[in-house]
Amino acid sequence: MGFGSKCEKRDEFHIAASTFADQWNKFNSSFPQFTWVPRPNPPWLHPTSQVTRSLFPSFLSQAEGYLSVENVVILPCTTSEDCCNEGDDEEGKEMLSCSDKDVFIDDDDDDSTTLVQNHDYASHHYDFHVVYNASYQVPVLYFRACYSDGQVLLLYDVEKSLPGSSAKLLTESKWTFITQDDHPYLNRPWYTLHPCGTSERMKMLFNNEPVVGQGGGVAVAEYLVSWFSVVGQVFGLQVPFEMLVSVGQS
Amino acid sequence: MEDADSEKGQKNLIFAPFQSAVDEGFWHKLSSLKLNKLGIDESPIPITGFYAPCSHHQVPSRLTLLAESLPSEEDQEQSSSVPSATLNQGNRNRCPVPGILYNTNTLEGFQALDKKSLINTEAKKIWDDIHTGKVEESSSLLLRFIVISFAELKKWSFCYWFAFPGLVLDPPARVVSLRPASQCLSSEQAESLSAACNEWRNTSLTTGVSFFLVCIALNSHVTIRHLADLEACKNDGHKVLFGFYDPSNLPSNPGWPLRNYLAYICIRWGLEKVHFLCYRETRGFVDLGLSLIGEALISVSPEWKTRECMPKVVGWEHNKGGAKPNVISLAKAMDPTSLAISAADLNLKLMRWRALPSLNLSILSASRCLLLGAGTLGCQVARMLMAWGVRKITMLDSGKVSMSNPLRQSLYTLDDSLNGGEFKAIAAVRSLKRIFPAVEAEGIVMAIPMPGHPVPIQEEHSVLEDCGRLCDLIECHDVIFLLTDTRESRWLPTLLCSSANKITIAAALGFESFVVMRHGTGPLSVIQDLKAENLNMHNHSETNRTGRQRLGCYFCNDVVAPIDSTANRTLDQQCTVTRPGLAPIASSLAVELLVGILHHPMGIYADADFANSATDSSSENSLGILPHQIRGSLSQFSQMTLVGHASSSCTACSRTVVLEYQKRGLDFVLQAINHPMYLEDLTGLTELKNLAGSFNLDWDVETDDDEDDCVEI
Repeated sequence: MGFGSKCEKRDEFHIAASTFADQWNKFNSSFPQFTWVPRPNPPWLHPTSQVTRSLFPSFLSQAEGYLSVENVVILPCTTSEDCCNEGDDEEGKEMLSCSDKDVFIDDDDDDSTTLVQNHDYASHHYDFHVVYNASYQVPVLYFRACYSDGQVLLLYDVEKSLPGSSAKLLTESKWTFITQDDHPYLNRPWYTLHPCGTSERMKMLFNNEPVVGQGGGVAVAEYLVSWFSVVGQVFGLQVPFEMLVSVGQS
Repeated sequence: MEDADSEKGQKNLIFAPFQSAVDEGFWHKLSSLKLNKLGIDESPIPITGFYAPCSHHQVPSRLTLLAESLPSEEDQEQSSSVPSATLNQGNRNRCPVPGILYNTNTLEGFQALDKKSLINTEAKKIWDDIHTGKVEESSSLLLRFIVISFAELKKWSFCYWFAFPGLVLDPPARVVSLRPASQCLSSEQAESLSAACNEWRNTSLTTGVSFFLVCIALNSHVTIRHLADLEACKNDGHKVLFGFYDPSNLPSNPGWPLRNYLAYICIRWGLEKVHFLCYRETRGFVDLGLSLIGEALISVSPEWKTRECMPKVVGWEHNKGGAKPNVISLAKAMDPTSLAISAADLNLKLMRWRALPSLNLSILSASRCLLLGAGTLGCQVARMLMAWGVRKITMLDSGKVSMSNPLRQSLYTLDDSLNGGEFKAIAAVRSLKRIFPAVEAEGIVMAIPMPGHPVPIQEEHSVLEDCGRLCDLIECHDVIFLLTDTRESRWLPTLLCSSANKITIAAALGFESFVVMRHGTGPLSVIQDLKAENLNMHNHSETNRTGRQRLGCYFCNDVVAPIDSTANRTLDQQCTVTRPGLAPIASSLAVELLVGILHHPMGIYADADFANSATDSSSENSLGILPHQIRGSLSQFSQMTLVGHASSSCTACSRTVVLEYQKRGLDFVLQAINHPMYLEDLTGLTELKNLAGSFNLDWDVETDDDEDDCVEI
């Protein structure tokens, strides 16, 4: 794919990501929406000052940011036994047992108009961020997952709960393995599909295609769709057919 | 809108309780707020929760706390005002809800909180807001919530409990009808309602307003208006539905917000028959199949409505296992140690996935390594071992950190050398744990008894004790690195390792040359091994096996027994005077050599490979060849692999010496230490030297005459 210098590429990524988000939101009606999250300006920068503009142009660029889709509900395909383990850390238990006393007996129970329900702790909630990696010059998928009450899923739990085909993909494919890295914008450790094999893989995908639109936003947008069609598989996320068709046509 | 089946079969309206979710970011922020700003202040903190209409037919939406829910650390003296209620205005998935957080300093404090009074206090605010009409200005006041929490910051675990105060109608509201909205509306109404809802949701000023009026005109035109406009709507003769963002996904239970909403409608508007819309959506658009339209009858007594008489309140969240607090442990996600462990593991796994599928991480992490010497070599070897995923490291050294050490000995800093200096073994272990807290490192301050350093009678006992201790240490480790700075200090460990048949790796430095080698198997175990192989491997060519020689040890090529090498030496000869780059190179090679041994199917019994034999060996071992020794020279920037076979006259690993040690134990050791010549006599070296001239080094690779002894310092 045609890419110019790094800075241009970041801009291109921004454009492609916006196109991707628009298309996804248009075609994928049963899915939370993708949005572009610009990096917040650091508080020490005055956005309109001349100094800021000349010294830190990148901070003001809309291209600094990431594509985000959050709170994607994935119902794991594990047995119910596995599902009740979450959050039951040893320490947690210890703490709970200390507090599990008569103190907490409550007379709420006798309210006849409150629905008593089984909690749906089984659902897993994923946040996905697509961040441009300037070193590898490829998009990188960052993700994290939690149970419905906010308890974080560990990598082991993630791998266990993914569809069987994903587990296979993860062990067999050399370029979709999960690792842990600091999120470049949030500075907290997130899981990520390591980018080191992406470029090679994408070359394979586009091997037979004539080089279209050198450096153009359209070409990069196609790139992003193709890329996501592969990484999305890991989580059972399918790119809407219409988007793939539109890639095929242009 | 039809009211057909209103008469019979009326049931109580049952509400699906609000459910909570707390983002990891909230706990991060709370921890930092607690540590940096609040200290032991236990005052309630105003917070903002966020929720959105249900958007998944199988999963309710939850009231969520995010990092933004807490006031920022910079905020001064703003604890009385709701901090960031306006922060996320305009985000359709984050309708702000005012809440209050009681974070206690102790678990006892948490348990002692009067939950009944807390929820009543908060409900009273809702009650008052209803009566004063404040709800019309800000409808989210109907959703006020409470969180009580105790943060065990050291363990990264959090005990918390939500309450969503709900006013109990007495008697309960009765359901007249409750059906999917799509079944209650004409197609014109449905179309118009969808358009109106979507406009409401897509306008940043209204998207966060979770209670609203749906006005249906006679011509089916639907408009959505604020609560304050009720009179106007009624005067226009419109049919009015009380709409709200419903977090519940259930087909026959509206969500919790309807509770206080009905109380509000009943008190402010005096209605006894209420039509309501449980607004739910799919991917940002109203979903009329999921949304519900219902009709409820309220028949409370007039006294119930008076401001002075507070109704009963319910609303503490039922967590796993009933009315109990929730406990969440984020140690694995927040504790730097856990994070470092998983990051390190993933990094090694990455290497396996990418380049070395045969990499055996569990062998590495399970290997117990004993490092004799914690100087330039020891420090660097320890670091490289950790980088490879080795987790069990014992450092042995008798010295203290001196002022000149930190520059070359990479585990120390100047601080370690102050006040006379910390023991190296102790300082090194402390440093290893700082680098990687999960390392199981132990420091042992102890001198290694050496031949040629005679032991005075009065110290004999303690030296023998040291010998015994060293023996035990070697026994309980899998790998021993010889990294001391004198030749003679390596003799006893070499003997003990030969006797115990442990993987032994020696690294030694000259001024600009080094040797790194793995010792061969012990003389006794080889015999057993060969027997076993002869029994098991009939189909293998015997010549190769029977003709195989043991690999040599550090002392095999010497014709003198180890003596005091520091006596009569100038300072530059006594100290570690080497080119600074040498130790890291040799240390790294020593560790790489170990990794090769651990991955070789024959392990310690593996034959020596040469650089030339790379093509054969590399195919079976992805790590490459496994040489016996590597000698390198910085002056030539050259490095070569050599093989030296075990000598039957070796003072440390020959059969004679090991058998003698096994027979006489520490007596033998003491004799060797006090009388080095005894070893030469025992092994026949004395005799050998008398036959000087016939002596021949057993190099398998041609070497030129720079092959002088580079191992001594």
